[in-house]
Amino acid sequence: MKVKLFDIFKIFFIIGIQLLGGGYVIVPLLQKYIVEERKWLTEEELVDYFAMSQCIPGIIAGNIAIFSGYKARKFLGSIMAILGIVTPSFICIILLANLLTSVVSNPIVHNAFWGIRISVIILILVTIKDIWKKSVNSKFTYFMYFFILISLIILPVSPTVIIIVSALLAILHSKLEGRKDA
Amino acid sequence: MLKLYFLLSYEFLKIGIFALGGGYAALPFLYYIQKQYNWFTVDELTNMIAVSNITPGPIGINMATYTGYTTAGIIGSILSTFAIVFAPFIFTITIIKIFNKFKSCSIINDIFLGLRPASCALLTSIGLQLFIQTVSNSENLSFSSMHFDYRAIILFLILIVPFSFIKKNPLLVIIAGAIGGIILKSF
Repeated sequence: MKVKLFDIFKIFFIIGIQLLGGGYVIVPLLQKYIVEERKWLTEEELVDYFAMSQCIPGIIAGNIAIFSGYKARKFLGSIMAILGIVTPSFICIILLANLLTSVVSNPIVHNAFWGIRISVIILILVTIKDIWKKSVNSKFTYFMYFFILISLIILPVSPTVIIIVSALLAILHSKLEGRKDA
Repeated sequence: MLKLYFLLSYEFLKIGIFALGGGYAALPFLYYIQKQYNWFTVDELTNMIAVSNITPGPIGINMATYTGYTTAGIIGSILSTFAIVFAPFIFTITIIKIFNKFKSCSIINDIFLGLRPASCALLTSIGLQLFIQTVSNSENLSFSSMHFDYRAIILFLILIVPFSFIKKNPLLVIIAGAIGGIILKSF
């Protein structure tokens, strides 16, 4: 069954409204609305899109939206997805910009956003827990996870480098495995 | 005015092409625009970044919309928002086309076998970094400026228990965090 274009716009609009505290929140939001409720994507696809979005220039949340929209309804779907993500922030900024300038310095708002940082950490943790089983489940993938995590902690490497290095390691791994089988 | 529209689109198109790694990567470009064109003051820019942080939506998009709006009104904001997503859109569609063409190749599947744990590791490090920043109350990780904030750990422990068990609802977690932040930090 074809996904309705307006539906794509609507869902990404709803996700856009809830995108508070940084773009990474889009991963749990997509998981809830698109993977679990609507099944436009599988969990693996979401993880793959997240990885690829890291190495494409541009805003990560926007890139994942384009990927997901494309999966749902090809080219037009991706346009609907990016429009849906952009519209809430657009409306907010145009209507509230002047008002918000005074709100920013308000200590209560400040404290609320301090708390939201903790929420974002929890959302990230829950997301990792969900995608873990399908991503880290063999000797090689365990090695990759810890290898990359440790290099990220020790060195200030950019995500792009990380994704490229992991792709190369994965190719090397499959070549070695292939030789073993042969 | 036409020249202003053109420059605005050009600068944000550039940000779209070169800002790798999410919204914050756009910051240095915005400071460059400030210095180069003087469309807004540094104070205004700081304010715009702060507002972008508390407005829903990807921070990079918010900053583009806001800067465009401050510089050249509604048309400016439409142009800058459109310009910042234009190049990534083309890149992403191209990647999808290439990806779909080679999807059946076993090498693509092998690559994703490595990318998925890398994604998990990236998310983990983002979470860790945010956690350390919030607990140590500092943006940069220099130990001299660290103030240990036990309230961050309290809020973390309060939130982690219910939200790792009940059906997750991202908005609910965000709201609970905001309320918790106000209560813990205000008193």
